Amino acid sequence: MLSRVADSLYWMSRYMERTDGILRMLRINYASSQDDIQDFSWRPVLRIFSYLDDEQAAAISHKSRAVLQYMVTDRENANSVLNIVTHARENARSVQDHITKELWQCLNEFYHTVRDGNLIRGLHEEDPVSILDVLIRQGLLYYGVTDVTMARGEGYAFINIGKFLERGVQSADILDIKFSDLDITRMDTTYWKYLLLSISGYELYLKTYRSGFDARNVLELVVLNEDFPRSVLYSVKQLQKYFERLKTDRNKEGYQKLDFLIGRFQSRIKYSTVDSILQQGIHGFLNGVRQDLYEMGNAFNQHYFAYT
Amino acid sequence: MQTTELLNSYLAETAGWDEMYTDNNVRQQYRCVLDLLERMTIEELNRKEELAKKMFMSQGITFTVYSSGEGIEKIFPFDIIPRIITASEWNYIETGIRQRLKALNLFLKDVYNSQFILKDGVVPTEIVYSCPHFLREMIGFPVPHDIYVHVAGIDLIRDQDGTFYILEDNLRTPSGVSYMLENREITKRLFPDLIPRNNVRTVTEYPDILHRNLVALSPRQTASPTIVLLTPGIYNSAYFEHTTLARLMGVELVEGRDLVVDNHRVYMKTTAGLQQVDVIYRRVDDEFLDPLVFRPDSILGVAGIMSAYRKGNVAIVNAAGNGVADDKAIYAYVPAMIRYYLNEEPILKNVPTYQLDNRDQREYVFSNMNNMVVKKTNGSGGYGMLMGHSASEEEIDRYRAEIIKDPRQYIAQPIINLSSAPCYMHGRLKPRRIDLRPYALCGPDGIQIVPGGLTRVALREGSLVVNSSQGGGSKDTWVLAS
Repeated sequence: MLSRVADSLYWMSRYMERTDGILRMLRINYASSQDDIQDFSWRPVLRIFSYLDDEQAAAISHKSRAVLQYMVTDRENANSVLNIVTHARENARSVQDHITKELWQCLNEFYHTVRDGNLIRGLHEEDPVSILDVLIRQGLLYYGVTDVTMARGEGYAFINIGKFLERGVQSADILDIKFSDLDITRMDTTYWKYLLLSISGYELYLKTYRSGFDARNVLELVVLNEDFPRSVLYSVKQLQKYFERLKTDRNKEGYQKLDFLIGRFQSRIKYSTVDSILQQGIHGFLNGVRQDLYEMGNAFNQHYFAYT
Repeated sequence: MQTTELLNSYLAETAGWDEMYTDNNVRQQYRCVLDLLERMTIEELNRKEELAKKMFMSQGITFTVYSSGEGIEKIFPFDIIPRIITASEWNYIETGIRQRLKALNLFLKDVYNSQFILKDGVVPTEIVYSCPHFLREMIGFPVPHDIYVHVAGIDLIRDQDGTFYILEDNLRTPSGVSYMLENREITKRLFPDLIPRNNVRTVTEYPDILHRNLVALSPRQTASPTIVLLTPGIYNSAYFEHTTLARLMGVELVEGRDLVVDNHRVYMKTTAGLQQVDVIYRRVDDEFLDPLVFRPDSILGVAGIMSAYRKGNVAIVNAAGNGVADDKAIYAYVPAMIRYYLNEEPILKNVPTYQLDNRDQREYVFSNMNNMVVKKTNGSGGYGMLMGHSASEEEIDRYRAEIIKDPRQYIAQPIINLSSAPCYMHGRLKPRRIDLRPYALCGPDGIQIVPGGLTRVALREGSLVVNSSQGGGSKDTWVLAS
């Protein structure tokens, strides 16, 4: 497979994963803003998914519609859904002969949907949740079409590598910011509930822990739970699984390098416990997770995608 | 013949040859389609038009227009009514194109090798050497199987008496074939069962024939040679076509930056290291192909690719340097080439062409500017063209001055009253001018022309210019089996 093609598939997938993350986060936080008796703030969301500085974030952090507009349709925001779906489509467009026609059409339609003026007007004037649902469903369609139509070759491996790498980074980011916001010993049911809802972990949490909401349990679920599809451990295991499919007689050097990085990272997560994480400091630990994932991204760049 | 509302004033608006009507009668080949259209309501037809647009849009059969930093997706306008060519018309066109291509290919071989045709004075030497597409780099280089033109898209038009004329020989990187394929797919959806009922010949073989020809050109004797399609990239207006062809042939779609030349061999950069490339179907123009040989600022090409080509380590399709044979000034000599190389009379006629560096011809053209179309010899896409009948006095004067500055750059042709075909426009059928571009494929086993092609249509009322850049659209093109 051409290096450029692998690169484009990887980024197409990362952008789509990010789109999904942002949309879910927006949907749940909007719901929370309608429910919260305390003063609801969008600041954590803006810190996770945007490049706004504190002052800029503060200016809109209490205006839901303004945040939605900024995060979904703002052309100036590099991380707006509109812009990242456009990037995903551009990447897909340049590798149309490596993705199925169905997948290309799905992304192309998603692109036309986020640019649809009527739909977007709904974000400001009608119920934003129904609009976000339309977009989330387009994203789910993307996952489904990828799963059902794509051949299980090298391209599929790069798509999944991009997806799980992005997911790992996202989960670390979300936890880091949510935990930095308050004193970990404080019990705040709504706070944790909405966090879990926004990453679709609420139901699994209820089934796993019977004792109500507790920061330690949230940490354990999002970092260490092997069955939770957004946990760091799950993401890295999937990453490893798809990476192993790239093993060939050629490019041995690149393979060994990545194999080492992924293996080391996986062990580090797997043999952590909530206590060891707390001992190290949550922020320090999550920062380490992020650094490791970035290092893997760079190594892929160097050993698999370098074409210029 | 009863005229329904759909056909209101259609006849009154036709002038010259109409593809559907003759002497107030519907031609046999259009009857079945017209019957169906007349049974439909305006609403149904509008719905079909809408459906066609939606299908082009959602499949991404679009080109991007960049304005104020933002890309807007446009579709190439499509008219829902097919253009129909009878079996005997096609037979004539096919034989004519075959003959013409044979001669043009011989001309390219000759002009880059022995140059008999120049020595015998059939084609003037200066007109060849003054052509910017004549490449010294190709002189004395034996191209594989002596084939220069692997893919040709020859433009035909019809005069008011129905005679076919060759308008242009596109022998470099002709585009539009994906629209031949996609327009057919859309028609299948718009009018279920209509195609089999009319006995329309299929066009779907095109990518298979092309692929077979590309495989046959591989310099390495291997069961599965590496074939790539070289595209200028996603910003090229024909990018959709490049992806379609790559997908339909199952070959790798590459950009210049994906390729590298080492020791006169071309490789592509893959996730598992370098892989040697055997055949390149390039959709990049000659001048951008190799920055070491042609334009040094080109980033679309590959440094060293021409040396690999000349060493015979890679096949390039179409051959470099073909532009000397489809130059508009050399066009006038194609009938002479056919007589010279084949000893046959040309089957398809040329449009009479005046060379403006010939004093007598220039004087004649200048005194008849209102009946002439003036074209740049190296222009394309309908740019830099003067339509004498609709131009203002100032425009004509400006062209005169330009021509006198460098007469080799221009040719003039009498304005041809192109034939018309019915187009669906806001609830009515309207006659609009059309041309025809069939696609011919030449491989070691000979020339094959897929029965069909791209019919371009001038959608503006009264317009004679079909180019997409000038408000043209396209139609599905049917060739009937019997």
